[in-house]
Amino acid sequence: MAVPQLTIEHVQAIIPSATDIQAVERCGQKIVFSGIIDGKKYALKFMAPNPTHAGDQDRESLDDVTSRAQREVETMQQCSTPHLVSMGPIGLSTADIAGNPIIYFSEEFVEGQNLYTYLQSSGVFSVAELVRLALHISEAVKSIWQFAKIHRDIKPGNIMRRDINGDFVLLDMGLVFDLQDEPLSVCPVGTPYYFSPEQMDFANRRAVMNFRSDLFSLGTVLYEMATGCHPFTQGAASTWDVLGNIANVIPLPPSTLRPELPEKLSNIILRLLAKRPALRYRSIDLFQRAVAEVETDGGV
Amino acid sequence: MSVLAQCGYGRGRKIEQGFHDDVMHGVILSPRDERRDRLEEAVHQWCPSHPQALVMFDPQFYAANLNNPRDGHLSEYDYYNNNSGLGRTHFSGTRIQRYVRECLDYQHQTFGRNVAYLISPTVLFDAFRDSWSQIALNMAVESADYHRDLSSPQPLLISLVISETAFQTMDAVEEFLDALTEIDTQGFYIIIRRNSSSVNNAMESGPFGRFMYFCHVLTTINEYNVIVGYSDWHSFLLQAAGVTHTATGWYQNLRQFSLARFQPSRGGRRPRKRYSSAPLLSCPLVTPELQDIYLADLLPGVLSRSTYDAIIRNGPAAGEAGWTDETACLAHWHSLNSLSEHVSARPTQKARIEEAEHLMHNALTLYNQLSSQNVSFDPSTGPDHIYEWQDSLQEFRALSGL
Repeated sequence: MAVPQLTIEHVQAIIPSATDIQAVERCGQKIVFSGIIDGKKYALKFMAPNPTHAGDQDRESLDDVTSRAQREVETMQQCSTPHLVSMGPIGLSTADIAGNPIIYFSEEFVEGQNLYTYLQSSGVFSVAELVRLALHISEAVKSIWQFAKIHRDIKPGNIMRRDINGDFVLLDMGLVFDLQDEPLSVCPVGTPYYFSPEQMDFANRRAVMNFRSDLFSLGTVLYEMATGCHPFTQGAASTWDVLGNIANVIPLPPSTLRPELPEKLSNIILRLLAKRPALRYRSIDLFQRAVAEVETDGGV
Repeated sequence: MSVLAQCGYGRGRKIEQGFHDDVMHGVILSPRDERRDRLEEAVHQWCPSHPQALVMFDPQFYAANLNNPRDGHLSEYDYYNNNSGLGRTHFSGTRIQRYVRECLDYQHQTFGRNVAYLISPTVLFDAFRDSWSQIALNMAVESADYHRDLSSPQPLLISLVISETAFQTMDAVEEFLDALTEIDTQGFYIIIRRNSSSVNNAMESGPFGRFMYFCHVLTTINEYNVIVGYSDWHSFLLQAAGVTHTATGWYQNLRQFSLARFQPSRGGRRPRKRYSSAPLLSCPLVTPELQDIYLADLLPGVLSRSTYDAIIRNGPAAGEAGWTDETACLAHWHSLNSLSEHVSARPTQKARIEEAEHLMHNALTLYNQLSSQNVSFDPSTGPDHIYEWQDSLQEFRALSGL
């Protein structure tokens, strides 16, 4: 399904209460605007559903775009942590633009910089920032996992650092995998460079995926933010090569690329990147405790 | 780590004496082997007098899916008696819920805080990918779920009874670990079912090395407590791998688990008396082996340095009559405990592994020294099992990267 062709005028017509509407980005199946509602800035997300089923609220008969949007909204409504983007005042709604159905909702507009942009411009994070990043994003993963859900798309482009306080926020729950609900995908989804090994085992995803898959993706992000290098692109000429490396290659310890990195933090990142989930952390609390020890050991 | 008493038939005064002599630090009770009223009474007596002791009740539910088991007093327990003779079809979700509920409720309501852990029911399985292993996993998950809803229960150990042959394939071990480490529980009580019940028959090096790795992933990596039941001399290696406690008993069938324990007895002679030698990592026969060592003037190097040594120090043959089953059992616990202390005194896992290597090296040196003095040993005494362990440790080191 194509990204809906919308202008600021269209958005204004759909949400008359919004002011100062601006185009933000087109990504995946969405087009995103920002707008002020009741004095606060929000992200306004629009998607084009399958017209056959638009407006039908029975999930079993919904198209995948609407189902995903519904799951994204439901997840934001369930979770409550400052490290996960929150829902705005407009829930999942439908509209019609020139005979084309549109679905849309609003979410918190996070003022800040995403880590992809940061990596391009400023390079690596300090140890203190890495510790904060690990604690904040794992908190977001924990919040989602409470509801037996997995984010599945943790990557630098989906993590923002808030300008206001430096907190990290995980965005975009459009690919959330719900272990307790019907599957919405017919093939692997997410960003291959940040896949976990078990994310490739699509046929068995219900049996093999859990929050430890998200911890692996977080490990890849931490590795990049610690060293400036992706752990699995060495010698890779294609996405398939990267996937092969994710499945088979044990990356160099981050401390070998950045010697001033505390050994403990380097080991934690490497452990997140273990091929088998059993070799990562069995709970997010254990992971957070290990990260907090880097802080108390004076590594920060 | 410390050694626990693996109870069986003929408990006598061994437990009380073991606590008194400080040679073991807990008990795993066997409902198959003693009357229910006596077992319950013992638990209620031990707790006030030994508050630090780890007392546990192995429900032995796994006997319920054996073919015509010799299950002794197990039929006195409703959680077992209602459910004996179970086949694959008797493990639907609803039935598993009932088995778990009955088994955990019995322990929780009967023993309360007098046991250190509640132990979940399980079934025996031969391979990590067979249908019984899936049933065992379902029972484990159900147990953790049910335990969560109990009112102020003691912590839960998930029990597993696994055939040694299951550790032939590493892929399957890893898959099972992935599933097991999803369970939110305090730890695991693991029994390895041996193919043979013969004395001192070391597990093959590959499977045992993989079992060490299995324990390492559960304990060191995932911070579960792991208690390995029906263990013996190899306990010090399991400790080097990270195991929290091991349990061993007074008869051979309480030191390595085989299905013979649940099959009709074939009778046989009374076993010959053996001495537990920590330096040799084995149990030489009091006569002639220990006597020959004494005559070669090498006895001090073989003794485990316990108070029980006084009985045989001045001549094993002369002291044999005083070397009772109870003394042999206490001396065995003492020897295993002293090895555990050696290993656990090391500050890191790497150092503990090196200490285990050191103990094996010293034992082999001692065997060579004895051999040079024409002391010969029955194959069941050693030292072949040590070579097997050395290979196991290499396998473990390769897998764990330690």
